[in-house]
Amino acid sequence: PGNAGSSDPGTGQIKITLKTRDESVSVPDVPLFVPLSLKRYGLSEVVNHLLDTEKPIPFDFLINGELLRVSLFDYITSKGLSSESTIELEYTRSILPPTFLASY
Amino acid sequence: AIQVVDSKDTPYRSLDEARDVWQQHERTTGDLSNALCEQLRLILEPTQSTKLRGDFRSGKRLNMKRIIPYIASEFKKDKIWLRRTKPSKREYQIMISLDDSKSMSESKSVNLAFDTLTLVSKALERLEAGQVSIVRFGEQCEVVHPFQKPFTSEAGAHAFQWFGFAQTRTNMYSLVENSISLFDEARVDSAKGDMWQLEIIISDGVCEDHEKLRQLVRRAREQKIMMVFIIVDGLTKGGNSDTASSILDLKQVKYYPDEDGTQKMKMTKYLDTFPFEFYVIVRNIAELPAVLSLVLRQYFSEVADLA
Ligand SMILES: [Mg+2]
Repeated sequence: PGNAGSSDPGTGQIKITLKTRDESVSVPDVPLFVPLSLKRYGLSEVVNHLLDTEKPIPFDFLINGELLRVSLFDYITSKGLSSESTIELEYTRSILPPTFLASY
Repeated sequence: AIQVVDSKDTPYRSLDEARDVWQQHERTTGDLSNALCEQLRLILEPTQSTKLRGDFRSGKRLNMKRIIPYIASEFKKDKIWLRRTKPSKREYQIMISLDDSKSMSESKSVNLAFDTLTLVSKALERLEAGQVSIVRFGEQCEVVHPFQKPFTSEAGAHAFQWFGFAQTRTNMYSLVENSISLFDEARVDSAKGDMWQLEIIISDGVCEDHEKLRQLVRRAREQKIMMVFIIVDGLTKGGNSDTASSILDLKQVKYYPDEDGTQKMKMTKYLDTFPFEFYVIVRNIAELPAVLSLVLRQYFSEVADLA
């Protein structure tokens, strides 16, 4: 579906980098090769894994200042990008209520 | 079967421009190419130390395994002697596969990849080791220079026309699968004798499906196709930071079902699951002759042990 050049949303992967302005939750600056199926929740899990937190912290993710509300696959497809690009993600502690967070 | 690039397609650059690019890379890698050629000559040439081999009607030493059949056959099976034989000249088919996917240009690996391609192909040409072919891969893979044609600088320029590093996928599985069938066909076409088939893959190394790929690479090996992977590590600057990132730093996130079936995240170093057993990481073209000959020597010594 979508961009013919993109990988399968089920098995495809993409390179991402993670940045934050919040120094209390910053992670090492290394690229990650992650499933294209990841959404906010999965990405949060990745950041929490890197932080080695005891209690998971929910995060929101921005690409070029725009809040990510869909999977990485849907994002690159809608922007006409391919999985050959590296996506730069900025994350912040989520300020949205948990009930709302569960919806995307 | 794998396709030869369609001459009706529009190449990425004109032949004149491709010649310029080729010559420029040929100049910068000339000395290194000579060095690689000399190192490969040492590796690829059959060893001069000869072995005693059977079975002959006269010779230097008796082959003890043949004595009982000799007597049992009432002295008819009389090829009972070992001789020192000259090693036969090996023939090679070497395929150079260059990653034409977009990540190559995004990771600033193109220059290094072109350097690598000219360096390796010129060294092989000078070595007169056998047939050389060039393949491009990304979403699909195509032959841009076939085994049947002699490889020259002009042929190199023609091949360079077909690399634009804009393909929006890196289908490594299809590359390996198609390479196997291409080698199969080439083996049939060529004369009998001691045929060695080697594939040199030049890529940034980023690909999916490591598990499936590993099985396919194993199959290639069973068919005596040697695969050596050159990872050109262009060291991109990641994000807004000033620190350069390397494939050595890349981490992979994967999900596996645990005992009760829930998906569990696992984070590993990307290269820990890299499916190609023989690989080298090149950041500076000057390092290539030494590391490539090292890995080839390792490969050939393993193959020689199997033979
Ligand atoms: Mg790629």
